[in-house]
Amino acid sequence: MSNPTSADVVIVGTGVVGVSIAETLLDAGLSVLMLEAGPRVSRAEVVENFRNLPLTLKGDPSSCYPPAAWAPHPMPSSETKEDAYLQLSGPDRYAQSYIRYAGGSTWHWAGTCWRLTPQDMRLKTLYGVGRDWAIDYQTLEPYYTRTEYALGICGPSEPAEQWPPLAEGVARSKPYPMPPLPFGPGEQRFTEVVKTLGYSNIPTAQARNSGTSYDDRPACCANNNCVPVCPVGAKYDAATALARIEAKGAKITANAVAYRLETDGANRVIAVNYFDQHKASHRITGKLFVLACNGIETPKLLLMSANARNPNGLANSSDQVGRNMMDHPQLTMTLTLEEPYWAGVGPVVNSGIMETSQGAFRSEHAGAYFRFNNFARNRFVTFGALKKGLVGKALDAEIRRMTACTADVVLAHEVLPDPNNRLTLSDKKDWLGLPKPSIHYDVGDYTRKSAEVYSVPIGKRIAQAMGATDIKLSPQFNQSKHIMGGTIMGLDHKDSVVDADCRAYDHDNLFLPGGGAMASTACGNSTITMVSLAFKAADAMVRQMKGA
Amino acid sequence: MALSRRKFLLGATVTGAWVTWGALSAWGVGATASSAQFMEVSKLLINHQLDEAVGARIAAAAATKYPQSVQMLTSIAALAQAKQAKAVEDFFGDIPEGPLQEFAHWVIFAWYSGCSSPKKDAQLFTFEHALTYKTTADTVAMPSYGFSGPNLWSRPIVPLSNMPIF
Repeated sequence: MSNPTSADVVIVGTGVVGVSIAETLLDAGLSVLMLEAGPRVSRAEVVENFRNLPLTLKGDPSSCYPPAAWAPHPMPSSETKEDAYLQLSGPDRYAQSYIRYAGGSTWHWAGTCWRLTPQDMRLKTLYGVGRDWAIDYQTLEPYYTRTEYALGICGPSEPAEQWPPLAEGVARSKPYPMPPLPFGPGEQRFTEVVKTLGYSNIPTAQARNSGTSYDDRPACCANNNCVPVCPVGAKYDAATALARIEAKGAKITANAVAYRLETDGANRVIAVNYFDQHKASHRITGKLFVLACNGIETPKLLLMSANARNPNGLANSSDQVGRNMMDHPQLTMTLTLEEPYWAGVGPVVNSGIMETSQGAFRSEHAGAYFRFNNFARNRFVTFGALKKGLVGKALDAEIRRMTACTADVVLAHEVLPDPNNRLTLSDKKDWLGLPKPSIHYDVGDYTRKSAEVYSVPIGKRIAQAMGATDIKLSPQFNQSKHIMGGTIMGLDHKDSVVDADCRAYDHDNLFLPGGGAMASTACGNSTITMVSLAFKAADAMVRQMKGA
Repeated sequence: MALSRRKFLLGATVTGAWVTWGALSAWGVGATASSAQFMEVSKLLINHQLDEAVGARIAAAAATKYPQSVQMLTSIAALAQAKQAKAVEDFFGDIPEGPLQEFAHWVIFAWYSGCSSPKKDAQLFTFEHALTYKTTADTVAMPSYGFSGPNLWSRPIVPLSNMPIF
């Protein structure tokens, strides 16, 4: 059977954003065709890949997802400088990892779902930094709730444990569909310790089934492997939704690398061209087009689609496509502790201190979010214990001690949009001859100052309270792999790529939802906001198609 | 050829000191260590239950990585025999520093980590039977394997002293 070549809506990308939009459109009676650059694989295959990795790669989120030749993605543990996909420059490395497989990068996300706060969306007005969003929190709130039910996000019912905290204008329209997951012993101890410092370590809202099945997926049973892959599908990932949306009529073409959009005389998008795995070119037409292929691939595709009418790339009359690249720059404290904490019981991220992300200090420096990483520690400590030359009971005891009495506490920061943090097209080419993404990045003084005067001092107080006998702090910022900003949203088409519905200002039938549209990062993981923006965009598409 | 532990140790004893065993080895210089021989020495170096199939994989890798592995296995066995060792602590200190001790540590490394080296291109021998996870099996999950029923993992801090038996 030949692949379809036209649909009401063509969606590039089958990650959580694309899938969420597709289902909304299908439910509204529209036809949907989805293009996925990479292959479609089974969960069993990925789990088998993980289990067959040597111990040193067990902690790498990408190694069990070998890229297809035609759909390269970053492979930080195995790529050489010569064959690296991302071409990075600048004071800080925008070293991302993402998955070009059907289902996208939610294959290996942790499932963490912190909402933004109203303040996070008004940085310019409240603190004189960054940008305000084109919408406010009250506008976004119903979409947050919709996301929580669509993905199956568990979370606390106690307002004191919810994020954002209950305040004027922050009422939740519905409770979480499932209760929070219980804390393991390490998280429990961490919670008690930071409480003595005045901090609240609250349950993470997370897209993981808590105590019950949900959405035809089983309950979490603490496999402690959310990253790089949940072996049972208790954590939501977009791959779990592919068969469902196909049953509703979606057509999904894998191994289809979109490389150019076409526009007509009215500057409307009329087609997307893609290469298959045999380098054959195909053309797909539609009425609406959605680029949901993540915050790097989406601006890359827009820039690659430059034509006479749009010489700087599609959607780029503002010159903002590929600019304002953001993430959550993080520092990790690896602690050696006097007493056992036993990270590794339960999901890998299950709690966090969020209140430290908010405050009047944001006029001066970034906020930060602190979390106790709950990965089982064997993979991190075994080589170190063996290197000590111990044998017998002493070796057993040392591995056990190091597993129990070490911990990673992560300090995740917000970053401001900076047009100089920019994605462009490299002159280096991939297997298909398409340009690789080139990204210049600097976390900026706002974030650096936070580390100097705020986050690291707090982190050290936490470490001391935990009984740390040794603290090793990351020597530089690492990326959280939360790609944001490259198709930024705003009210003014002169400095923004998309409007409040993630519709491109330059093309009224092109939508660019997801992390690229986010105008601020705050400190919490971006996916819930990306999906909420996707639902808002999907509603706009339905209205547009129905002629409303 | 499979030998019983008794015959193996006897052979090592009869042929004398480990330093001269190479020329007199029943298996011969450069011969391939049998899985049985490797398992016998592994059990001297690691006082836990060891999986035979994993041992066969590690033995094959040892034969490639260490051309003198037969001789070294025999030498280690002889040292253990000389001390009538019941546990690795009884004789490990007698293994001279240098290639023989490095080899002994590699065998231990392979069983505990389940792979041939800390490098990214290491050969995987086992995940499920890697002994590192056994030392903490009472408390933390082996990643990707279920640890409890739904939401049943709240528990007090387990003391370090309760080493699992494995």
